[in-house]
This record gives sequence, structure tokens and C-alpha cells, in this order.
Amino acid sequence: MKLDDTPVPLPWQRREKRFSHNGKFILTVLPLYIFTLAFVAGPLVYMFILSFLQRAEVWGVIGKFTLKNYTDILDPVYLKTFWESIKLAVLTTALTILIGYPFGYFMAKLSAKWKSRMMLFLMIPFWTSSLIRLYGWIIIFRANGPLDKALMFLHITDAPLKLLYTYAAVVVGMVYALVPFMIFSVYSSAEKLDWSLIEAARDLGANPMQAFLTVSLKLTLPGLLSGVVLTFIPSMGLFFIADILGGNKVVLVGNVIQEQLMKAHNWPFAAALAVVLTILTSVMIYLYRRLAKVKDLEGLV
Amino acid sequence: MKKYLSLVLAVALAVSVLAGCSAPAATPATSSEAATDSEAQSSSAEASSAAPASGKTLNLYTWEGMFPEDVLSSFTKDTGIAINYSNFDADETMLAKLESTKGGDYDLVIADDYIIKTAIEEGLAQKLDKSKLENFANINPIYQGQFYDSSNDYTVPYGAGVQTIVYDPKIVKKEIKGYADLWDASLKGSIGIIGNYRVIDGMALKILGKSYNTTNVDEINTAGEKLKKLAPNIRLIKDDNLQDDLLSGEVGAAIMYTSQATLAMMKNPELKAVFPKEGIGFGIMANFIPSKAPNADAAYTFIDYILQPEVSAKCYEYLGYYCTNKAAEALINADYKSYLTLPADFDMKKMEMIQPITAEAEEAHSKVWTAFKAAAGQE
Repeated sequence: MKLDDTPVPLPWQRREKRFSHNGKFILTVLPLYIFTLAFVAGPLVYMFILSFLQRAEVWGVIGKFTLKNYTDILDPVYLKTFWESIKLAVLTTALTILIGYPFGYFMAKLSAKWKSRMMLFLMIPFWTSSLIRLYGWIIIFRANGPLDKALMFLHITDAPLKLLYTYAAVVVGMVYALVPFMIFSVYSSAEKLDWSLIEAARDLGANPMQAFLTVSLKLTLPGLLSGVVLTFIPSMGLFFIADILGGNKVVLVGNVIQEQLMKAHNWPFAAALAVVLTILTSVMIYLYRRLAKVKDLEGLV
Repeated sequence: MKKYLSLVLAVALAVSVLAGCSAPAATPATSSEAATDSEAQSSSAEASSAAPASGKTLNLYTWEGMFPEDVLSSFTKDTGIAINYSNFDADETMLAKLESTKGGDYDLVIADDYIIKTAIEEGLAQKLDKSKLENFANINPIYQGQFYDSSNDYTVPYGAGVQTIVYDPKIVKKEIKGYADLWDASLKGSIGIIGNYRVIDGMALKILGKSYNTTNVDEINTAGEKLKKLAPNIRLIKDDNLQDDLLSGEVGAAIMYTSQATLAMMKNPELKAVFPKEGIGFGIMANFIPSKAPNADAAYTFIDYILQPEVSAKCYEYLGYYCTNKAAEALINADYKSYLTLPADFDMKKMEMIQPITAEAEEAHSKVWTAFKAAAGQE
């Protein structure tokens, strides 16, 4: 995510012209290509091939071609997990927009000193592993935990609520984990906003709402959309939040993949699920770009 | 200046990556005698604390924390054999390593039943010479002659896991006697279970009077329908530290692994452990000697040492698994005895080992389980 938007050419871009003639340029980008091939393309190809193989009777894989793994996905039990994942991802994204958009928008209006302070506050939680922060939520939510005690002290409830291991707890965990990404991308967009344009709109007779909808929203749309991509895509795959805060009862595709790998030892099926999930998310990114007609998703690079 | 700094940092990063790679490679994968010797001196605390008089070493390969420290050190003191304790996280890792060393490098392995079956089938275990095991007769026959080693040629059991129901009578008013009681409407939203589908689907199979190891897909699906009716009562599905949720009152009843049940009972003696009247499924951990063990005699000495009733009792009190040593049962501390040994009136016919099943049945189980979890989430 780039927070500073002044287009500074990267070192290799600057040198490109000088190197392109003598072949040194290829030498400099070679590690990048090797890295991408080995760690991005390699596993993808491996996963794709694995998804067409048969599982062995005990464990392991037999090198025989089959489409069974894909036809198995069509079973309503597994199709439903895809639906659950999309549902949760949409809900999470909607809530992160609700919280993250105003936050990022108004953060851009702060003085320079407070901007950097806010930025620091948002960064600090990232210094701790996200897993450990989730355990923090368990402590808050659990029976007779701080939240229960506070509610009972205020006489809002009179018995411990069952907050942990619910759908709501999962949603809270998801929104908590992803909202910073929305804030950052909206902020980077709103920061570049020329506020005099809004004043101009107001001078020309637009009420604050009209000015916001026609000027601010349109100009921060790239940031908002990249925020959507940055929250929607991970929320399709964040299975451990559903595991830890949902008591394993919210079954997402990620959970099924993990279980097929680690417990059922059905690697080919897990690979097929992963391939379908990858295709699904790629299609969604493509649709976003088509719908929004934005080529350059801010903050994604 | 900046340039040099970034260069230094880049080198440091590269070195740290390499260091990360080389660390695991240094562990027992190397097959030369010299490597194992130097490792015994460097990595094993037991070996360095008591220098062996005979210069013999036992290469023990199992999970972490399988024996109390004092049992290991007194073994070295009494026999003069040093112990080189290497551990694995998962049975599959162990098998892969034995395959790569072709049954060499290690003198003694302790692992789970199903993987031992595969190890024996692949010729990675050697037949036991029982004349070298004076205390062989101490083993509880209930745990012998099971599917993985039907004539007891290769293995000596070391602890059994029996998934049990543990509940808090303060929260659960109904007396639980078997699996079927968990379906009671009064338990809505208050049961925690482990995430092992063979065990949980197996509960429903048991209620329907079927075997844990059925390969009949229709039977598994019928059990799945039965299981769905349990969904409203399920609060939590979790493998690690389920006892914490029972102790904190998050759930009133739980189906859990033996070690978790032991931990829960030790912290709160008022909890009740139940032997379900429908019958139980269990798994066994057992010792076997790899086919090309460099020092098989040391392994025999160790197995026999652990089979002594006094030593055995100490081990099970520490381990928290069911005692597979009949002679040791009487010596186990009365506080632990009720959940480390089977009740005297227990019907052996109701015990059934959870065995590997066909891939088709396994897939049916995993589908039923996914549907059950999703149903629990809808409540």
C-alpha cells in the first residue's frame, strides 16, 4: 500500500534505458522473475495439477487423472460453504466501509501532526500477531469476561451472555482485522482531494450532501474500491477467525480446505476447492474493475 | 553511507534466511553414526546430565513430553544407557522419516496405532524377541491383539486414549449416562466437542448400534441425520485445550481427549467423567523397534524398564493417558486412578478401536461432519 502518492520513479525504472542495451537490465530483474516463478507460479501450478489427481486409500496421492474432486464440490454441503463465505465477506466489507470510509475521510482533514499520530495509532496493533490479538477478543467476549461484567455492572443484563462462539463474534473479529486496510486506502485517496472543489460546489448552490455525493465521493471512489478489494478478498479466506471466535461452527471454504488437508488427508479435494476459490475471487476482482471502470486500484500496488 | 547500510542489512537478511533453512536439516535426518553421536551430546539434556558408563545410546523417537524427566534420568543411571530423545509433531512426519532412513537411525519409536499398521506393512518395524522382555506379561490384555498388530509380534502399548464425556453437575442438571443423553433439549447451546469427526460421527453410529468402523455409506449418512439433531446443543468445536472452556463454564458438558479430561478433572474434581453406556472408541499409542535399529538391545532394555509396575505408574500419572499396564494399576495414586484406569465392571465388548476405513467411507464421514458443523452454526 502506498501512502505517499508522489510518483517517484523506482530505481530500476530510472535505469531501464541505460541498461536495456547491454543486457544488464535482464540481470537485475532476473531474481524477481525467479522469485515469482518459484514462489507464486510454482505453487499455483502444483495446486492446479494436484486438483485433478486421485487420493490414495490411506493417504497420499495417486497420479491418475480424475474430475471427481470438482464434481464433489457440487454437493450442496460444500456449495453452501461457498455461499457462507461470500455472505460473510459481503457483510464484513459493508461494515468496514461503514466504519472505515468516514474514518479515512475525516482523517485526511486533520492537521499534519495529527495525521501522523493517527497513522501511528493504526499501525501499532500490527506490531502484534493477528492471532494474539484475536485471543484478546476471546478474553473480552468469554463468559464472565470484561464485557459481561461491564454490562452486568450497568444493569443492562443480569446474567452472563453467550457472546463467544457466535456468528456476531466472527463478524466483529473480521471487521476488526480488516478495517485498517479500508481506512488506509480511503485516506490515501481523500488526502489527494482538492478541498477547494467542494467549496466550489457549495458556492454553486449544492447542499453539503450533494457536494459530497457529486464531488468527494466520486474523487475518493478509487480508494474506496481498492479498500473493498483489500477487505473482500482476504475475508473470503480468513478461516482462522471463524475457527477461533466462532467455535468452528461458521464453516467457510477456508475451513473446509484446512480440514481436508490436515484431518481428512484428502489433498486433491482441498486443491480443487482452492482452485475454485481462486477463480471465484479473480472473477470478482475483474468485475470490480469493469464496474468501477478504474484501471488503477489505488493502494493495491 | 546509506548504501552500505542497506547492503549490510541485505546480507544479514540473506544469512538469517539460510540459517532458518539449515536448522531443521541438522536434526536426525543424517544417517551417519558420527552425526547421531554428536547430536546426542549437543541436543539431549538427558545424555549430558548423566554420562553413560557403557557408551551406549538409545535413540528414542516420539512426541515431546512422553516421559517424566526423573524416569529418563534414572534409566540412564541404572542401565548406563544414554537417551537421545528426538521428537515429532505428527505421526505422518515420523513415518516419512522412517521411510527415508529405511527403518534405521532410531532404536525405539512410540506412535499412534494406525500409523504403526502402515509402518509394519512397509516392513519398517522388526519382530520383538519377547524373551528379552521380562515384564511383557504386565501388559493389560485388553489393549493387545488389536488391528494394527493382531498377534502382538511388533508392539508394546504405551497408553490409550479413550474419548469421554466430562460434565459439570453444577451447570448440567440432567445426569448423563451415555451419548444419547447429550441430545437432550435441556443442554441447548452448552456442549463442547473435539473436532475429530471419526469420534463425533461415531457417537451417532454407536447410538444407532453400529460400529465406529463401518464402511457402509448409508449407515454413515443415517448417523449424519441423527447428528444434525444434536446441532442446537453444540456451543463449541475445538481440538486444543477444550478443558479450559469446561473449567470456565463456557460449556457445561464436553466430549474430549483423555489428556484433556485428565487436566480438567485435576483442576476441578467436582466434574464428572462418564463411560458412555453405548460403548467407547479408543486409540492406542505403542512402542515398536524400527527394522534397522542401530541399537535394538537398548530399546529392549528401555521397554522392559518402563514396563516395571512402579515406573509405569509414575509414567501414566505424568502422561494422563489410560494405563495399559495391568500390574501398574494398583500403584496409581488414588486421586488419578478413576480416570487413568477402566472401571472394574467395564464391558470389554463395548470397546472398539477406531481404525482406518476406506477412502469412500472417510469422504462420507467428512461430508456428514461439514454439514453438521454448518447446522450448528445456524442455531
